[in-house]
Amino acid sequence: MDPPSRAGPTELPGRAELCTGCRGCGWRFDLDRSARHDGRVTSSTTAEPERPLEPLWRGLLVYRVLALLSAGVVVLVGLPQYRSAVGAAAVLAVMVGWTAVLGYGYLGAGARSGRRGRLAVADVAVTVAVMASTPFVQTPAQLAADAPVMGSIWTPGAVLACALCFGVRGGLAAALVVSGTLLAVQARPETELGDIQLIVLVGLTVGFASSVLRRQAERVRGAVAAEAAALERERLARAVHDGVLQVLGYLRRRGGELGGDAGELGRLAGEQEFALRTLLTTGPAGVDALGRRDLAAALRAFGSERTSVATPAHGVDLPAGAVDELVAVVGAALANVTVHVGPDAPAWVLLEDLGAEVEISVRDSGPGIPAGRLAAAEADGRIGVARSMRGRVRQLGGTITCETGSEGTEWIIRVPRAAA
Amino acid sequence: MDHSGTPGRGVTADEITVMVVDDHPIWREGVARDLAERGIRVVATAADADAAVRIAHATRPRVVLMDLNLGATSGVQAIAGILARQPETRILVLSASGEHADVLEAVKAGATGYLVKSAGAEELLAAVRRTADGYPVFTPGLAGLVLGEYRRLADEPPGPAGASPVLTARETDVLRLVAKGLTARQIGDRLHLSHRTVESHVQNTLRKLQLHNRAQLVRYAIEQGLAGD
Repeated sequence: MDPPSRAGPTELPGRAELCTGCRGCGWRFDLDRSARHDGRVTSSTTAEPERPLEPLWRGLLVYRVLALLSAGVVVLVGLPQYRSAVGAAAVLAVMVGWTAVLGYGYLGAGARSGRRGRLAVADVAVTVAVMASTPFVQTPAQLAADAPVMGSIWTPGAVLACALCFGVRGGLAAALVVSGTLLAVQARPETELGDIQLIVLVGLTVGFASSVLRRQAERVRGAVAAEAAALERERLARAVHDGVLQVLGYLRRRGGELGGDAGELGRLAGEQEFALRTLLTTGPAGVDALGRRDLAAALRAFGSERTSVATPAHGVDLPAGAVDELVAVVGAALANVTVHVGPDAPAWVLLEDLGAEVEISVRDSGPGIPAGRLAAAEADGRIGVARSMRGRVRQLGGTITCETGSEGTEWIIRVPRAAA
Repeated sequence: MDHSGTPGRGVTADEITVMVVDDHPIWREGVARDLAERGIRVVATAADADAAVRIAHATRPRVVLMDLNLGATSGVQAIAGILARQPETRILVLSASGEHADVLEAVKAGATGYLVKSAGAEELLAAVRRTADGYPVFTPGLAGLVLGEYRRLADEPPGPAGASPVLTARETDVLRLVAKGLTARQIGDRLHLSHRTVESHVQNTLRKLQLHNRAQLVRYAIEQGLAGD
């Protein structure tokens, strides 16, 4: 089946918050991905809810600014020693300006247009240019004395940006470019090995982390979209089911009136109608976090054309184990009706919530159980209906009584709430 | 209310006027035809809550057959809307999905009976007749819902609309037996009452619930500044 219609969030009242999130991102996100981002998931505007890399981008910028301050102090303090003080100041000015551009492009309005990738590549280029200016602004003495290259600790920022944008490969590539530049401008490359190792390490680890985070976010996004789709399907199913119920019910009525073969068809339609209605109104009675289950919903599942189940409209929550036992007891009583009164014999189940206890009545309108038969069955050592029912109810600390007569048989089961 | 004259006046038992409210045309027409064939005058049909309220006001049927699931609108709204203008109208709920909570809300809003849609034409006819005569149409399931609702209200702290309604011991007995599938006659035999008395007990249980509901709504409306001028 196609993905269900991308209806507006208003169609799912109560879930609007979720839907605004997932509809706003999930679907549009998919479209964007195929049309614009070429399979690459970038932290673009359309992927609003889970942008796991945002904190890293902010962290990157903080690093850039702090590194800029540090590098700036180094340059300004040592300004008279430079071969070209003007050149050094100009390079510093470029760094300041470029950091501002990055702030805008990585975090500000520029980030919204999804241009971080291109900006990160440009970042590497600018960084390389800054480093390459070293031989022109520094004196050979400075170079020989292992003074930091232009940009110094500001330069690994470009590696971080590429790692965030393009993952491991991007981080590694940028690290190699920056390292290569470092080697090229340094007179004594062997002293830079430690720095180079650090740069490559940073590119690899940050790149790896960003890949993992991105994959996880994608998975979360997929799950959210799937949930929205499931909700939508559920809503559509309700509408379809209602229509099916209407038609089945109508078939049953008309069939009954026409009689003959049509009557048989009508009867079959009626059975299906009841089964579907029971399924829809009952659903799987779930166990809540406290291990409790709604006894009313569980008993309603017994409803059929011949069995009426009357319960309160609100839930009657009991421990799930007790609900299972009580359902088994009621099932046994109803099976007994089928065996002893007839397969089409009507039966009535009533569940009452009496506060401190619950009472279940299972009644039929059959000829009644002959006096002494239940006791006789037990005395014979047969595990009779009565015995298994009694055993289960007693385990729950409750009582079970049987009233039988010419008007029918009624089992009354009472179970205390606290003990159950 | 504002208009004098009840629609029931001068109409004999054989001339019950009915409006059918259902969003499925197949049902609207089918039910209308079944009733017409059996001598019931179907004066109107409607497909949603707003139309139901408007048309009921114009045609004044004695009985409204109400589906609860009216597309985007709800049958419960329609019931409240119709009874607000014509309290003498009788509402019989005819529901396909048997959503228990919806049925209870419909009864609290003033419906006096409930029937599953797949009920046979004769069963429907009998229910319409009973409703027109002012008797409630109870299923055992509905009795269970009403019993449960009284129990729930008893557990609630008394609200601003006054103390919660309480069932008398007799009414509780009667409702229980209805929920266990006994007919009014069988209940009368068991409790040594006439079946008319049994009927009136059943009716009272509904009326008290409806009055309480209405009092709560009025109180709410006053609090919200919606009522009075």
